[in-house]
Amino acid sequence: MASPRLFSTCHQPPFLPPSPQRFVKSPAKRRPIRSALQFNRKPQLAGETPRIVVITSGKGGVGKTTTTANVGLSLARYGFSVVAIDADIGLRNLDLLLGLENRVNYTVVEVLNGDCRLDQALVRDKRWSNFELLCISKPRSKLPIGFGGKALEWLVEALKSRPEGSPDFIIIDCPAGIDAGFITAITPANEAVLVTTPDITALRDADRVIGLLECDGIRDIKMVVNRVRTDMIRGEDMMSVLDVQEMLGLSLLGVIPEDSEVIRSTNRGFPLVLNKPPTLAGLAFEQAAWRLVEQDSMKAVVVEEEPKKRGFFSFFGG
Amino acid sequence: MASIDSLQFYSLCNLQSSIGRTKLQIPSSLVVFRRRHRNLKWVQVETNQKFVCKSIADDSSTPDEETQNDDNEEDNDVATTQSITASDSESSISRFRSMITTIAHDSESSILKLRSMVTTLPPVIFVMKKSSGNSVWIGISIVATVLLASLRAYAIRKSRDNRPPGSVSDLVRRGQLRSGDRRGISKSLNYEDPFNNPFVKLGKGSSTVEMCGKVYKLAPVTLTEKEQSIHQKRRSRAYQWKRPTVFLKEGDTVPPDVDPDTVRWIPANHPFATTVSDIDQDLAQNNVYQKQGVPFRIRAEHEAMQKKLEALQNEEKLNNLGIDSQNARDFQRPYKFSGKLEEDDDVQENHTGNSSSEETQKS
Repeated sequence: MASPRLFSTCHQPPFLPPSPQRFVKSPAKRRPIRSALQFNRKPQLAGETPRIVVITSGKGGVGKTTTTANVGLSLARYGFSVVAIDADIGLRNLDLLLGLENRVNYTVVEVLNGDCRLDQALVRDKRWSNFELLCISKPRSKLPIGFGGKALEWLVEALKSRPEGSPDFIIIDCPAGIDAGFITAITPANEAVLVTTPDITALRDADRVIGLLECDGIRDIKMVVNRVRTDMIRGEDMMSVLDVQEMLGLSLLGVIPEDSEVIRSTNRGFPLVLNKPPTLAGLAFEQAAWRLVEQDSMKAVVVEEEPKKRGFFSFFGG
Repeated sequence: MASIDSLQFYSLCNLQSSIGRTKLQIPSSLVVFRRRHRNLKWVQVETNQKFVCKSIADDSSTPDEETQNDDNEEDNDVATTQSITASDSESSISRFRSMITTIAHDSESSILKLRSMVTTLPPVIFVMKKSSGNSVWIGISIVATVLLASLRAYAIRKSRDNRPPGSVSDLVRRGQLRSGDRRGISKSLNYEDPFNNPFVKLGKGSSTVEMCGKVYKLAPVTLTEKEQSIHQKRRSRAYQWKRPTVFLKEGDTVPPDVDPDTVRWIPANHPFATTVSDIDQDLAQNNVYQKQGVPFRIRAEHEAMQKKLEALQNEEKLNNLGIDSQNARDFQRPYKFSGKLEEDDDVQENHTGNSSSEETQKS
């Protein structure tokens, strides 16, 4: 059925020639792209590969790791090769959300020390073979304070030049705060996704983080508003997404509604986007991943929930 | 002339009888009614003959009974008629008699009329019984349908309240779980894209969207590029930050060609301060870029272990040189078994001697 593009404006039919802005891989390294989901079309990759995206927020607990896991797996389902890096030195969580905690044997610290090679530290997801996880460190290991940024740059260069080819996306899960971990994580990034919740504490921290990112030279910053409750917005107990956008002045990548499935998926180690009938939040993450691929942003947002209109016969249980 | 009161009294009397009674039309010239002090009652006209007016026969007290009762009572205000002469009386009597007959006829006709009215206006129950049963059944079915629908809605509402959130039945109701998935008979979902699939339906006019069974209202984004640039300028003024490139411990001097804004001071008690000089950066970089072979540290450990083993073996050789192999045989105990075993032992000894010499040669 026809799909009026209310959510995105960068919709093109699949058979148009690629625009000059899009990066075309060298024929020798191009791999056949297979998508497990039966789409009528695939999202068209925009920008130069590898696209290095840092997911940050400033405030802790707003959903960075959840966004990293779900967006990363969505990208893998679309057929792109993804490497997710958990840049939290000391508090590692991304492996838990992905259900790969028992398979992390080596981290970047071991690679730097020479205990293993980089490909031995990459954990390949058995569900999606084009998704790999790389953790910076184990909880008890240390990384020199001025050394992390360089290490990440070396890592990205090594990933670009590996024999199986450069990944399409390198997604870095940034730790909370604006300290050494934040500086380390944003070092190799070209673009950023800012995750925030519609409350004033998160917004103030987010504004500061945006300022630091812009000072560091990262201009392509998009926003994901997480844990949105339309009932509270309607009752004016929560800021609307448009209010948040007005305060921060960033284009929207996605709006994720509050969903209890997030907690279940976290505890089970099974990301939301893999649920067979997709949940509301899972669909929102998929849409955000689609827009990330096409470098698009939202043009309309969900404001409030409306009562579903029922027909005459619905009174009789229809 | 009959007064209004009398007519009203008569109507009151008639109300006591059955439905559909009509008033008797009595010529007013015949009877004169007088109001009593207490109640309205018939007053008998004082004539030679008592006037008896029969109304509709019923069980209630009839006016004639009341008039008979009134005869015994004392009358204070009784009107008297004028005296009538004998001749006049006969004519009047005849006239009176004719009038009575007409009254009787009238009453009979009125009775008949009343009866006809009763027969022509049957009560509702009689109408329902007499008419066809279709309309009755239609009414009953409508009432039953409305009752059923209300009961069903009530039951559904109650079951929703009682159903625990997150249960399998709740997930199936919300459309987040298909019953076929649990039985392994569901087909794979085919959706065009995350924006337009069975779980995402755009409303008419694109003002609403239905996602996972819930309908949401949409509003367009109002942020313009001008507003974005205003925010960027505001932040560039508010936040001045430079990436730290030089990390110094407390007490170290700042190099002359280094921007002080890029210096990061590490406190002495910082957990990462102790690891600054542990890792050689060039070595680390080489470790990261290594794609094949044994990792550096493992190779180094392996080499170190091999060296140690060789050193140990060299020490053993030195120790073993002090013992003569032939002399060692003299000290061996005699074998209790057959000679074949002795030969085997000799062969084994030769083999062990050869292997040790080979090892020493290899190392």
